[in-house]
Amino acid sequence: MSHQQFIDNFLSATDFQEPVEVTMDTVLADLPEWDSLAALATIVMFDMEYSKTITGEDLHKIRTLNELYELAGSPA
Amino acid sequence: MTTSTLQHVRFAGMTSCVPKRIVSNLTDCRPQIRSERQRLVRNIGIETRRMAPKWQCFSDLAFEATEKLLESLDWKREEVDAIIVMTQSPDYLIPATAIILQDRLGLSNATIAFDVNLGCSAYPFGLHLLGCMIAAGGVKKGLLLVGDRSATLDDPIFSDAGTATALEFSENAAPMYFDLNSDGSGHKAIILPVGGHREPVDIQHLIPFRKDENDHWRTGIDLQLDGPAVLSFSTQRVPPAVEKLLTYACASKEDIDYFIFHQANRMINETIRKKLGLPVEKVPSTLQEFGNTSGASLPVTMTVRINKALEAAPKRLLLSGFGIGLSWGTALVDIDGAIFPDLIES
Repeated sequence: MSHQQFIDNFLSATDFQEPVEVTMDTVLADLPEWDSLAALATIVMFDMEYSKTITGEDLHKIRTLNELYELAGSPA
Repeated sequence: MTTSTLQHVRFAGMTSCVPKRIVSNLTDCRPQIRSERQRLVRNIGIETRRMAPKWQCFSDLAFEATEKLLESLDWKREEVDAIIVMTQSPDYLIPATAIILQDRLGLSNATIAFDVNLGCSAYPFGLHLLGCMIAAGGVKKGLLLVGDRSATLDDPIFSDAGTATALEFSENAAPMYFDLNSDGSGHKAIILPVGGHREPVDIQHLIPFRKDENDHWRTGIDLQLDGPAVLSFSTQRVPPAVEKLLTYACASKEDIDYFIFHQANRMINETIRKKLGLPVEKVPSTLQEFGNTSGASLPVTMTVRINKALEAAPKRLLLSGFGIGLSWGTALVDIDGAIFPDLIES
């Protein structure tokens, strides 16, 4: 899967109220609306799109979108 | 327990009662957070909820539901052999709410009455518990009262309701099938840690705190919920449990008229529905209007969304409760000739 597709999936899942520019180097904590709802949506995205079960603990350790991508197993 | 079958237990009827007061997640909140509330509502799927006034207990809602049910069934008070209350919102820590309701409802002293401490997952467990008493032959007619009172203005998910279900002995009743599970290793995912004997309430628990000026005030005696843990538990445990029970009962998904799931939130419920590949029409929902009514959400959904269909013709239902404990229960129930009065608002 391309980085752009992953970013699109992420933005679709997290459903941020305000449009935001995201790259693979984006720090999640710097996103204004990275909150518990976004974390839950990301967990669902991993489950449904990548058949991967992640925890709140996993997300807590992630800093950037690229690390999130790697957590998904850098999906093909 | 392993998956099990109960014979000779007939589902006789059900009623649900909610408070009249409607709370809107979009407008009943601080003006500063209205914008983010829109996003929240879109994702959890809950626009309005029902909230009891301060003086109204779960038992008051359950009382109204039960009065209506007994009247509609034309059951005599002395015919009721058992009343089981499944709630996490009792009138008192001691004594059991069920015994108080036995008296309040005018049931005889020969009535078995007790409480069970179970919330969101309660309904299939309650059907099984009362069903076992009936299947064993000692109880001919029984009542199961399920619900909670946990709505607050600040939490956008919880909603209040009290419900009553009637089961009775019948030689010709179709079997009921159950699969009930518990995992206490996850007990901290949904917990009210203060107030029991493990940690009695003390003055420090009553001091309010908040993370910032836009957050609401919290105290140590509030319910704590680990969102990611509950989400993962629900979406990982429930779909295989449903598949397992269908296999056990030799039923296919096509054989089931309706799948009734605990109404947790849209994110959880839609994930479960999609994983099971169920069409929307077979999975009625009351999330948008009534939110998460805890253990009552299965009865409320049956009462509000499909009560006419259930009265009109025999229907086969798959019931799934999940949450607190952690615990998850699935039931397969045939409804035939039962009564389902309209929702009561009190």
